[in-house]
Amino acid sequence: MNWTAKPRPGAAHPATGAAAVRPGPTPAAVPSGNLRISNGLKEFLWLISDVPHGRVLDLGPVWQSTVSFFVDKGYRVSTEDLLRTWKDFLSAEEEGFRASPVGGDSQRISPSVLADKFLENALQYPERSFHGVLAWDLLDYFDPEVAPRLMARLSQVLHPGGAMLAMFHSRATERFHRYRVVDSQTVELIPAATIAVHSHVFQNREILGLFADFRSSKTFVGRDQVREGLFLK
Amino acid sequence: MWRKSPEAKPSSESYSPPVSAPVASQAPVPVPAPRVPTQAPPAPSAPIAEPAAAPVSRATSKISSGLKINGELSGDSDLYIDGELHGKIRLGNSRVTVGPNGRVQADIESREIVVDGTVQGNLKASDSAHFGSSSRVTGSVMTPRIGIDDGARLRGKVETTPARGASATAPKGRDTADLQPIAASAVEGE
Repeated sequence: MNWTAKPRPGAAHPATGAAAVRPGPTPAAVPSGNLRISNGLKEFLWLISDVPHGRVLDLGPVWQSTVSFFVDKGYRVSTEDLLRTWKDFLSAEEEGFRASPVGGDSQRISPSVLADKFLENALQYPERSFHGVLAWDLLDYFDPEVAPRLMARLSQVLHPGGAMLAMFHSRATERFHRYRVVDSQTVELIPAATIAVHSHVFQNREILGLFADFRSSKTFVGRDQVREGLFLK
Repeated sequence: MWRKSPEAKPSSESYSPPVSAPVASQAPVPVPAPRVPTQAPPAPSAPIAEPAAAPVSRATSKISSGLKINGELSGDSDLYIDGELHGKIRLGNSRVTVGPNGRVQADIESREIVVDGTVQGNLKASDSAHFGSSSRVTGSVMTPRIGIDDGARLRGKVETTPARGASATAPKGRDTADLQPIAASAVEGE
């Protein structure tokens, strides 16, 4: 999939010489209530539109509207609430740690070791399984040592040419939200009980480092300063 | 525009006699009727498909509230569970309904799965799975069509799979819009 060469619907044919009307993203996302105009989602859908029966992985909780949206477009959807699974995993580890004798294996508290252990059971999909991954803002909630390991796994399960949508806050968030797709350019932010505290505000170059395996990226900054990143493998 | 899947075919699989555990068999049992639209779908404007074709009057076995069963259930009868069941359920061409009082700790494999109670186990529905507002499910779900009501709690992976006998290139038959009657909903296991 070529990011720049792929024709957009409504774009003038190159041969006509007419000025190309770019129906792509509008300059900024305009939040309205709990709805958010998501240029990242719009672009994500455009990128995966080449694969009519592709597979999409949603890393948030399962929502009827999101599943229906993609199923109606002919995609297969898998949902894995990664943050919830991570918190459950940490709770289990903590319990085990408390029960273990003092002076036991101290390596278990290292975030990177925890991440490796977590990934023994999480995100267990064959390589190149998905054509699109919706990561929402969950990377903000993982330890900076854990996030690269998650990204490495996500990169593995993403098909070459596949796209990943991720959001990054520009400051620590006060409320914890979940996201669900309303339509092709709107997501709804659902306030939810906090299951994780905002862990890290990624700088732009850190984001690029996280997605170093990807061949191109595009970022949209909303008026609320949330950065929507679209990454193409 | 709409992705269509082939008409549900009756399974050619054969199963062992109806139910191997002591289950009260009766017909009909007040199994929840096919869901009707409770809220307009958010995006699509295409006509809403008719509800999934219900199986033609077939016997439904019922595990009533107060009954507790350990073991494996298999057969071709529909099953309504309002009691407790531990083990495994394989009713490949039937509908399994877990009522509001039902507590199931088992993997369920069936054509259609409707949950209004509590289930701990992996669910595999060859046609559709529906989770009512009072449902509490822990485990993975694999189904071509899924419906989730407001208030349902689902912890685990969900994967939509191709409908049985579906063709990847030219899907025909039932419209996936029959997902739409279910209200857009939250599934949070907070």
